[in-house]
Amino acid sequence: MLVATTMAACGGGGEDDGAKASAPKAPATIPELTKDPLTLSFIWFDWPPAHALEDFANAEYTKERSNVTIKVKTVPNANWHDAMFTQFAAHKTDFDIPILDSQHIGEAVTNGNILDITDFVKKNIDVKAYNPYLLAAYGQYPQAETGQRDENASLYGLPLLGDTWTMIYRKDLIGDKPPQTWDEMISVAEKCQADNPGVSGLAFHQANGSDAAAVTYNTVNGVYGGNLWDAKTRKIDGIVNDAAGQEAMDVLVNKMKPLTAKGSGNWFIDEVNAAVAQGKACIAFNWIAASGGLLDPKQSTLGTTREQILDKLGFAPLPTQKTNLVPLGGMGMHVSAYSPQANQAEALNFMKWFEQADIQKKWAAAGGVPARTDALESPEFLNAGPFNKVYADSVPRMRDMWNVPEYARLIDIENTNVNAALNGAKKPKDALDDIAKEQQGVLDAGSGKGGGGL
Amino acid sequence: MSGPAPLTTDQPGQVASATPPAPGWSRRLSDRGLAVTFISPALLLLLAMSVFPLLWALYLSFTDYSATRGGPAHFVGFENYIAILTSAQVHLRAWTTLIYVVGAVALQTVLGFSIAYLISRRTHGRGVLTTLFLVPMMLSPVVVGLFWRFMLDAQFGVINSMLGSLGLGQVEWLTRQRTALISLIVVDTWQWTPFIMLIALAGLTAVPKYLYEAASIDRASEWFRFRTITLPLVWPLLLIAVLFRAIEAFRLFDLVYILTSGGPGVSTETLSFHVYKVAFLGFNTGTASAYGILMVLIVIVLAQLYLRYLNKLKED
Repeated sequence: MLVATTMAACGGGGEDDGAKASAPKAPATIPELTKDPLTLSFIWFDWPPAHALEDFANAEYTKERSNVTIKVKTVPNANWHDAMFTQFAAHKTDFDIPILDSQHIGEAVTNGNILDITDFVKKNIDVKAYNPYLLAAYGQYPQAETGQRDENASLYGLPLLGDTWTMIYRKDLIGDKPPQTWDEMISVAEKCQADNPGVSGLAFHQANGSDAAAVTYNTVNGVYGGNLWDAKTRKIDGIVNDAAGQEAMDVLVNKMKPLTAKGSGNWFIDEVNAAVAQGKACIAFNWIAASGGLLDPKQSTLGTTREQILDKLGFAPLPTQKTNLVPLGGMGMHVSAYSPQANQAEALNFMKWFEQADIQKKWAAAGGVPARTDALESPEFLNAGPFNKVYADSVPRMRDMWNVPEYARLIDIENTNVNAALNGAKKPKDALDDIAKEQQGVLDAGSGKGGGGL
Repeated sequence: MSGPAPLTTDQPGQVASATPPAPGWSRRLSDRGLAVTFISPALLLLLAMSVFPLLWALYLSFTDYSATRGGPAHFVGFENYIAILTSAQVHLRAWTTLIYVVGAVALQTVLGFSIAYLISRRTHGRGVLTTLFLVPMMLSPVVVGLFWRFMLDAQFGVINSMLGSLGLGQVEWLTRQRTALISLIVVDTWQWTPFIMLIALAGLTAVPKYLYEAASIDRASEWFRFRTITLPLVWPLLLIAVLFRAIEAFRLFDLVYILTSGGPGVSTETLSFHVYKVAFLGFNTGTASAYGILMVLIVIVLAQLYLRYLNKLKED
C-alpha cells in the first residue's frame, strides 16, 4: 500500500504542476492522422456495453481507418475510478479515451487529466442534435443545473452511452399495467411477495462498492422531493437530511428493504439481473444498458425464447411520487491529456465519426444507448430492445449527482452509510445525518490542497 | 588494488585443470569486487523499490501533498499524524482490525496446531494429508475471496443451501454486522491454518523421540507428555508462525475488498482498506503516507516486543 501510494505520488509530484490546474486544450481541427498501425485504447468497467463497443468500433470504424484497432480495456466496476485516476496521477496512461462517469469530469478537469474539447466540438459536432442536458451531463464542466446546459461553458467530453434506471416488472404476477406511483409500487410489490412464496417483492442495488447503494437512495430521495445539495452555496448538511430526505430514507429502509430477498444487502447490477432471470423478484430496478441479458433464454428461467420471456417481463419508466425524477446514468468519452499526439488525433477523429447521426443509429442497433435526439427517436433504437423506449421517455426526467472534484469521496460516504442503514448497521436517521455531516466536511475542505481526507 | 591472486597448491588437481585467467582479469575483479558486482543489481533494486518509496512516503507524510491535484507539497509538520491518531474513524478501523487479527490468528493457531498434532501421530499417509491441507494456502486471496463470496451468498450460496437441507434458517453471512466479520475470520482461517500447521508439524517432528521413550518408561500419561514435552518444545516455533500470521492479518486488504467491500457500512473496514480509500478515493497522499508510516511503525514496535518475549522464552 505504502509503495503504491508513493509511486502514484512520485509520478504526479513536482513543483511545476501547480501551474497546470486546468485541462489542456485540444485543437479545433483534427491534426493529420497517421497511416501507421495504431491501437486506440479505451478504459471502461467490465459490462456488456464495453464489449459491444469494442466489437462495434472494430467492425465499423475500421472501414474508414483500416490501420486502427480499437481496444476497450475493462476493469471491475469497483476499480474503475482508481484504475483511471492512478494513471492520471502518474501522468502516463495506457489508454487514450477514458470513459468517465459524468461525476468524474470535475476531478479530471481540475487536475488537468483530460483535454478541453470546446473548440473541437464547435467546429466538428452539431451540438443542437443533442438533448442539451445529456450533452451537458457527459461533457460540460462546471456542472449544469438539472435539465439545463450553459452554451458558453467548456466541454470536456461527448456522450458515449446514455442510461437510466428501468423498472422491470413481472407481468404474469402483477399484471400488464405497471404501478404509476412509488407508493403504489411498494404496495403492489408487498402483495406480490405475499401471494408468491419464494419470490421477493423488490430487487434493487444495495451494495457497498461503486455507487450502488448511493444511487438507490438518490433515486428515492428524488421521487420524494428531496435534494442532494445546493450547488450554488455548496451546502449539503441540512438539505440532504431535510424532511424530504428523511422521508426518502424511511421509505427505502423501512418500506422497501423488507420486501427484498434476505441477504441482498450486497446486490448490484449482476445480482439484481440474476434475481429477475431466475424469477425471484416481482419488481426490480436496474440500469437499462445492463438489462440486455435478461432477454437471453440461456441466462433465464422465465422462458426458452425471447418472446416467452417478454410475456412475463415488462419494462417501464420509474414510478413518480412527489416529483418524476430519475437517475442519470451513462458516460461520456474524453481524451487523455497524457496520450501520444497521434493517438489524441485519432481519438478526436473517432469522436467525430462516432457522433454522426447514422453511426449513432448503428450504435443503437448494436446495443448502445445514443444521446443524439434523432438517434433516440429512430426506429433503429426504439426497436432494438423493449427498454429503449423507457430510456427515450425518461430523458426529460433525469437528475445527476454532484459533479465536483471531491466526487469519489462523496459517493463513498453515501454508499457506506446507505449500505449500513439497509443492512441494519446504522439507524436510518443516523445514517442520513452522518452522510450530511461527512459530505459537508469533504466539500468544505475541498478547496485546500491535499491533507485531511479521513 | 590487490595484486594477482596466488594460485593455491593445496589441491594439485585443481591447479592442473584450472584455466588460466585472462590477462588483467584478476587485477580488476577481486573476491570483494566480484561480490559487489553480483550483489549490486539486487541491492539497487531493493533501494529503488523499497527504501526510496519508504523515505519518499516519510517525506510526504509531513506534507499536504495530493498525487492528483498536483501543486507543491506544503510542510504541515505532524498535522497528518495528529489527525490520524485522534480520528474516531481510525479508532473504529483499528478496533475492527484488532478483533480480526486476534480472532483469526487465535483460531488458526489452535486449528493449525491440532491438525499438525493429529497428522504427526500418523505413520501412513502423512505426506499426502499434509499436501492436501496445504492447497488453500497456495491459492490467491482474490480467488479465495471470490469463491467464498459465492459460497456464502445468502440466496444462492452452497453454505445456506446445506443449512437449509439440515432444516436450519438462512444466515446473512456477508451483510450483517456480526456475521460479516466472523465470515472474514473464517475465510482467512480456511486459507491460512495450513501455514500454522506446516510450521507446527516441523516443530513436532523435530521433538527428540527419546524424550517420549523416557516418558513411556516412566508411564507418563498422554496429557503429561503433551504438556511437559510436546508443547514446550514446539511453542517457540509456533510463536514465530503466530508472528508472521499476525503481521499478515494486520495488513488484510484483499479478502475485505472481495468479500464485503468493508461493509455492511464500515463494519469490516480494516486499517489497510481504509488507508486505500484515503489514498485512492480522495488522493490525500500526504495523509495516506502518514497513515502507512504509522502502520509500519506499529508493526515494527509490536514485532520487537514480541521478539523480546521470544528471546526471553528461549533463555528460560
